[in-house]
Amino acid sequence: MVAAVASLWALPALAQRQVEITLTAAPTRMALIPGATTEIFTYNGQFPGPTLELREGDRVTVHFRNELPEPTTVHWHGLHLPFKADGSPFHPVGPGETYDYVFTIRPGTAGTYWYHPHPHHRTGYQIAKGLYGAIVVRAADDPLKSIPEQVIVISDNRFTADGAIDLPASLSPQGTIDQENGREGDVIFVNGKVMPTLTIRAGEVQRWRVINASAARVYRLSLPGHKLLHVGNDGGLFERPVELDEIVVANAERVELLVRGTGAPGSTTALQSLPYDRYIPQTRPPTWNAPRDLLTLQYSPEPAVASVRIPTKLRTIPVLDTAQSTATRVMVLTQGMINGRMMDAARVDVSAPLDATEIWEVENLVGMDHPFHLHGFQFQVLDRNGVREPFRSWKDVVNVPKHGSARFIVRYASYSGKWMFHCHILDHEDHGMMGILEVKPSQLTKRN
Amino acid sequence: MGSSRIAGRFAGLLIVLSGVAVVELSDGRWTTDEASASEMLDPSVMRGRALTMHHGCGDCHGGMHPAGAGWLAGWRDSTQTFIMGPFKTYPRNLTPDNMTGMGRFTERQIFNALRYGLRPGETPDVEITSNTPGQGNFPANPKYLAPPMPWPAFRHMPDQELRDIAAYLKRGLKPVSNRVMDSEGPPDFWRSAYTVDKIGPYPAAAYPTAQEVAGH
Repeated sequence: MVAAVASLWALPALAQRQVEITLTAAPTRMALIPGATTEIFTYNGQFPGPTLELREGDRVTVHFRNELPEPTTVHWHGLHLPFKADGSPFHPVGPGETYDYVFTIRPGTAGTYWYHPHPHHRTGYQIAKGLYGAIVVRAADDPLKSIPEQVIVISDNRFTADGAIDLPASLSPQGTIDQENGREGDVIFVNGKVMPTLTIRAGEVQRWRVINASAARVYRLSLPGHKLLHVGNDGGLFERPVELDEIVVANAERVELLVRGTGAPGSTTALQSLPYDRYIPQTRPPTWNAPRDLLTLQYSPEPAVASVRIPTKLRTIPVLDTAQSTATRVMVLTQGMINGRMMDAARVDVSAPLDATEIWEVENLVGMDHPFHLHGFQFQVLDRNGVREPFRSWKDVVNVPKHGSARFIVRYASYSGKWMFHCHILDHEDHGMMGILEVKPSQLTKRN
Repeated sequence: MGSSRIAGRFAGLLIVLSGVAVVELSDGRWTTDEASASEMLDPSVMRGRALTMHHGCGDCHGGMHPAGAGWLAGWRDSTQTFIMGPFKTYPRNLTPDNMTGMGRFTERQIFNALRYGLRPGETPDVEITSNTPGQGNFPANPKYLAPPMPWPAFRHMPDQELRDIAAYLKRGLKPVSNRVMDSEGPPDFWRSAYTVDKIGPYPAAAYPTAQEVAGH
């Protein structure tokens, strides 16, 4: 058993690259909306931050420098890495300080991830100011590697009349609604642009890696006239593609979609977000049920090309067996709290030995959705509202529906340390809707 | 308290087997009897039952009386819907079901709902020592129960009676799974409807007020 586990996570000796990345967070001014410039925060002067392209097996060192006027961290959302490299609130980087994030990209983790700040109480603010970027991890044996890709980072923001990012005082009328719903903005950005145009050729298949980087807005994606082939989630490809008309992407979730160019040459369509009622009735925005256009999909005038064949089998995802589970953790979500408590860095909420497999049962007593994120370890959702998950996938966020529940199974592999779990509506997280899982190194447990 | 009274009266030994009281009488005979089993019930729960009956909790929350179908199990049909201006509100399931009722809330959270009008799912489980938002654990941004819940009246009941109601809801009812829609309301969760101006102070103003005479 130990040997099998070890080989699953073993690093191929030959394929390793040493990757050095320099990343600097700093304030800057940029034109984001017409007629104004806005003071924002950027990574390496870019909004969103540069997309990091990594391969399984890479040994990564990120030399991070904080030129912001306040402490920050860089959290590598969804990556399986050492505690010290997680960029959680336990390792703040002060203004003017530097920090090296050192980690290895584990085999089997190819997928779409993202990075963003995670300082306690200030995550929502710093992400609202513009700090986030995409991570693409590739596998050498990616079955879709011949298909052209688009990274689509969706976010939203709100601006004052003079172009500044609108961050109302917490007890103002809008501030209280933001605390309740999470802060939503009326301007939706795709890769830092409002309604950008993507081009596709008739017949062509594209792989879209979609990241919801919004603090609170949930996207129900639909491309009118097109089916979407859902091929992957937070932690990479499924075993088999699933055909859909639309898909809900909650906060911090990622989806990989194959889009087939079934439109006519020269035609256009828009990727839309359809209404999705995640809200409590008291603070549901009046515009909640208006569909929103996110980007224009422009067909080039050339005649259609023959479509590529999509493999029916994408990969094998190991089963996390519920019979191996040694504990069930019940997490009850009430508003702004988990199990009736707010985040306390000095408290450990869940303690477990390294390598343990456990089931988490997350129950949402509130009349709004809460996307629940666990750091450090990808999990497999077992069921939502008691309905069995239709297929296996790796996740690090599960959207727990209003007055509903979700169960997932997780193995605390490889890395001990303290790992956050929290609601990924950033206003809720910053308010303290967060807890700590401590994974303790154990004597190697005796197994047959 | 129940068991010490029984022990005192019978000067014997009391043990409990599967909830049935087995009592050794002073003459050495063993007996089980309904009367002693009933005396072991928590008197707080029993007082809470009486309070929910004579405060009419079932009129809105269902069942009308403890033997009635859906007793305190919350909204079942549109006859229980309240129209409060532009909003609809729905009486909640008060039974101790974990997911749809009071099961995940503590008796203290229910007490805080009855005394301060604070929604239990949205208020920390702490002792509140002030009526002023932001002070003494009273939330800075309080979220109140939807009208017509008469908590501005119920809050004047003694502490113990409110605790009794909480004890009955948590320990005296069978859990019923009945998911009730969230009540609608203004974005301030009725804060502007529940100012001291409108509902008076707690504790109440000293007697007699301008509207009252000192009765003898």
